[in-house]
Amino acid sequence: MNDRCLYVDLGLIEYRQAWNLQTELVDARIKKDVPSDIVLFLEHPPVFTLGRRGGDENLLVSESFLEKSGISVVPVERGGNITYHGPGQLVVYPIMDLQAARVAVVDFVETLEEVMLQTVAFWGITAERNPANRGIWVDDKKIGSIGIALRKGVSFHGLALNVNLDLAPFSWIQPCGLPDVRMTSMKQELSREISMNTVRESVKKNFESVFGIRLVGSSYAGLKDILKSRKNELTIISI
Amino acid sequence: MKELSEINLPDDLRYAESHEWAKSAGDTLKIGITDYAQDQLGDIVFVELPDVGDSFEKGEEFGTVESVKAVSELYMPVGGEVVAVNSVLEDSPELVNNSPYSDGWMIEVKPDNPSEMDDLLTGDAYLEKLKG
Repeated sequence: MNDRCLYVDLGLIEYRQAWNLQTELVDARIKKDVPSDIVLFLEHPPVFTLGRRGGDENLLVSESFLEKSGISVVPVERGGNITYHGPGQLVVYPIMDLQAARVAVVDFVETLEEVMLQTVAFWGITAERNPANRGIWVDDKKIGSIGIALRKGVSFHGLALNVNLDLAPFSWIQPCGLPDVRMTSMKQELSREISMNTVRESVKKNFESVFGIRLVGSSYAGLKDILKSRKNELTIISI
Repeated sequence: MKELSEINLPDDLRYAESHEWAKSAGDTLKIGITDYAQDQLGDIVFVELPDVGDSFEKGEEFGTVESVKAVSELYMPVGGEVVAVNSVLEDSPELVNNSPYSDGWMIEVKPDNPSEMDDLLTGDAYLEKLKG
């Protein structure tokens, strides 16, 4: 891995907006228009997303119920099946050139799991891997999920750790497309609300130590500037 | 994970830097992913392939494989029209791990320009790229 990596906290951001940003950043990383890997930290407003293999058959509620709930369903290209994102869930999207760093996909996924395992362990929660179903688990309940995509050796999408989020919408689906997957959160395991800020800092610290990199803070505006200067260069070339 | 010296790279295939292989079979080419790629990906649980009759340019995405909750795109080592797909992989995606060069083949292509095969790497040259 590059020892230096851009870090941006996007706060609460619409799924599609974050997806557009990821797609642009992946393209920029593939073309080496950004000099380092990038890690986005964020939360999404409530949304269901389907993996590459679909998963809308695992929605357990009717379309009209969903419409009333105001939660949309977005198909995406990541691995895995249907899932739910909402405020109180910490989402991390690493846009990393795994091919250049010679990191195997399987090791990358285990490293993301390790970041989550160390984070929940800090709060005294014992979680484990399940090789048959990636992510991290407290007994038979999932507390952290993984779903990634690779384009020309560059990763996008990432991990989602359930901190304080409302778990009810998970009961409207069969998460991961499996009938007996139950979800939990750090709040549920500890029977108290915990600070998202503190969890974010913990994940950030663990991300640095487990990946052996340094996260250097930037901003959404900073990313936009990188992408904009890139577009200008493209325009000049096309003239 | 295999050591690079353990990666199987048959001499009669040609390799792309994006980790696909191509093998001449008369007028057509068979295409799949390398032993290195399957090892890096881990257990493959799903293979998404194009339809017969689809055409792709060299370097264009023709499908995906999913392993360990990760979807990886696959790219054409040469351009051409898909004349057959290995539909067995629908139910047995693990063949890509177990047998990447034979039962785990993915598509058969009629190349637009057979000389594109010459641009691909020999096993030795691909291994050198892997060593970096």
